[in-house]
Amino acid sequence: MRKPLYIGALLYLILIIPPIRSYMESIMIIHMLIQLPLLMVVGWFLGKYIVYKAPKVFHAINENGVPGMILIVAITMYWMLPRTLDEALTLPQYEVFKFISLPLVGLLLADSWAKIRDVGQIFIYLNYLSMFALMGWLYLDSPIQLCNNYLITQQKTLGWGFIFITASMIVYVLQYVFIDRRRIEE
Amino acid sequence: MGAFVGMNNLKSTNKTVATSLTIGGVIIAVMMIFGILMLLAQGGVIDVPDAMFYQFLTIHGTGMIGAAALAAAGVMWYFLNQYVELSRSIFNWFLGLVIIGVILVVIGVFSFEFAGAWTFLYPLPTISASAWGTIGALLYLFGMLILGTGFLLLYMDTGRAIIKKYGSLGKGLGWDVISGKKKEEDAPPKAVVASTMVTIVNTTAILAGAAVLIMNIINVINPSFTFDPMLAKNLTYAFGHIFANAIIYMAVIVVYELLPKYTNRKWVVNRVFLIAWTMSTAFTLVIYTHHMLMDFAMPKWMLIMGQALSYANGLPVLVVTAYGALMIVHKSGIKWDMGSGLAFLSMFGWTVGVVPAIVDATIVVNHVMHNTKWVPGHFHMYMGLGAVVMLFSFMYYLAKVDSTVKESKIDRIALWCYALAMISISVQFLVSGALSTPRRWAIHYPGWMTPAVFGAIAGVFLVIATTIFIIHFVRYMKNRGKLGSDKYEQKTA
Ligand code: HEM
Ligand SMILES: [Cu+2]
Repeated sequence: MRKPLYIGALLYLILIIPPIRSYMESIMIIHMLIQLPLLMVVGWFLGKYIVYKAPKVFHAINENGVPGMILIVAITMYWMLPRTLDEALTLPQYEVFKFISLPLVGLLLADSWAKIRDVGQIFIYLNYLSMFALMGWLYLDSPIQLCNNYLITQQKTLGWGFIFITASMIVYVLQYVFIDRRRIEE
Repeated sequence: MGAFVGMNNLKSTNKTVATSLTIGGVIIAVMMIFGILMLLAQGGVIDVPDAMFYQFLTIHGTGMIGAAALAAAGVMWYFLNQYVELSRSIFNWFLGLVIIGVILVVIGVFSFEFAGAWTFLYPLPTISASAWGTIGALLYLFGMLILGTGFLLLYMDTGRAIIKKYGSLGKGLGWDVISGKKKEEDAPPKAVVASTMVTIVNTTAILAGAAVLIMNIINVINPSFTFDPMLAKNLTYAFGHIFANAIIYMAVIVVYELLPKYTNRKWVVNRVFLIAWTMSTAFTLVIYTHHMLMDFAMPKWMLIMGQALSYANGLPVLVVTAYGALMIVHKSGIKWDMGSGLAFLSMFGWTVGVVPAIVDATIVVNHVMHNTKWVPGHFHMYMGLGAVVMLFSFMYYLAKVDSTVKESKIDRIALWCYALAMISISVQFLVSGALSTPRRWAIHYPGWMTPAVFGAIAGVFLVIATTIFIIHFVRYMKNRGKLGSDKYEQKTA
């Protein structure tokens, strides 16, 4: 049961290595849509281990998964705002915060996701779906440069990235609701 | 039949559903008064400041659509719950969120003078020429967002439950019966088919609405964030058109469930019925583009599609439902009472109300009639004489099966009074439209005033009739469960 711990820690170290870190942060879409999610993946692996080690603690503070989920939504929404990426690049304390808060998201997700049960999961999923669509629209449509560190073209690429994610999520929903999985399982 | 699902909690289930109908019914009655005030103002009878007229217009449109959707969701939930296992706590959340949303909207409109109409078309919430401020717009937009969240929760639950029982939403629409894999006898019940349709279209509508609402909110908070107005308009009408349309598809379930019980006949689900519902599902999703027939920048094919399919939009379901209703009632020796009478009236209203819409969906006519009172003429008829009547029908039905409260002569008079008054109001709008009276104008030329005054007088009778309906339902609420519910009846029968 130590495997997730090693995987998480290793991935974390790789992401911290300065050349890798600064390369990822030099391109907006990689920064937002690859580095940030990978940091959550780190937390998710670490979380597997930690939750397994201390289930009582998580039961006490996050019994039905809702507190964890609220924190997750707050942190991820914060990191979707254009200016936060900027600040992470210019102010070291924000960069540190980024490397702590996003693994925390992953950790909480590992604990909360199953706990919020199907209705909660669908609700969160659909909320992110419309949020991503909106972010795509925002980045594509904005006539001004939103970040000091990234040019407008980078911004547009990121917008398409969000649209792509949204489209994939819609396809996933469609197959989820229109394909009868009962038969496949049988 | 899964008719006894949720048996143990029947009493409180009926109470929750009845609460949504009471709230919905009362809001509808109050909103009628604002409708009358608008007509009186347009008719030159009373003096309403222009800004206030648009507050009335905003609250009337939002309130009517919201309240009718709330009550219709109650009807849908009541019947769907007899076939699949729904969560009552989610229904309570739904009620709570809708109430919070309504309160925010009311505060935004009346205390902070938001008057951007229920269509909140971008960038109007931000650019109001100081008619209202940031707070009013934010209260309204957040109120709508919370209200939408409530509905989203509800449809997630119905979708989840339908998938659990039938395998997929496609099967909820009976696609396996259409394709011949399953026999017609094993088709899902009508309530499930209709609920599946509404789940699909309204989830789509709400997601589009959520995106465009948040976008408006961002723009209100910081106007330097601008968005493509054409895309915003598409999303707004995808939300508004679908959401308003879905009301009647939720409410019609009462017709499906009630008439067979009253006539003691079977109303079978056949392939034609299923195909009709699938067609209306698809059409409802795409024809909002008829709101953009004047927008030359739209791709032509979308407009042509919007026009062509608008003719056909509600028709499949309307035809199978009206035909089915006639067949089942014909020579059945049905005992007419308030529930069945209102159900039948609603079918009439729906059928008649569709005609002006079809006329208006023609691009050529639309260039003349667009934005005249012809448009409210159409939707007042099919909402006021169709969808809302179904809600009242359900109220009388529930009162009958779940209590000993008796219907009186007054109720029957109210039915006729309601029908005549609502017809008058609709015709008044249509006449105004034919006179080229623009819609949404606070002030009318003298030549446009007469129909408005006529409509206002009819409106008073409509409010009286509606009040009688609601009083009957409130009396039922006080005597609930004296007789036992219909499921109880079925069990003992
Ligand atoms: C006593 C009954 C009613 C009266 C007197 C009434 C009156 C009016 C008036 C005067 C308008 C504005 C027309 C214009 O654009 O100039 C209006 C708009 C509207 N009404 Fe009604 N109405 C009544 C019932 C209903 C019902 C039952 C519904 C739906 C359930 C409804 C839904 C609407 C909607 C959606 C609008 C459009 C608001 C907008 O343009 O933003 N009304 N009504
Ligand atoms: Cu429409």
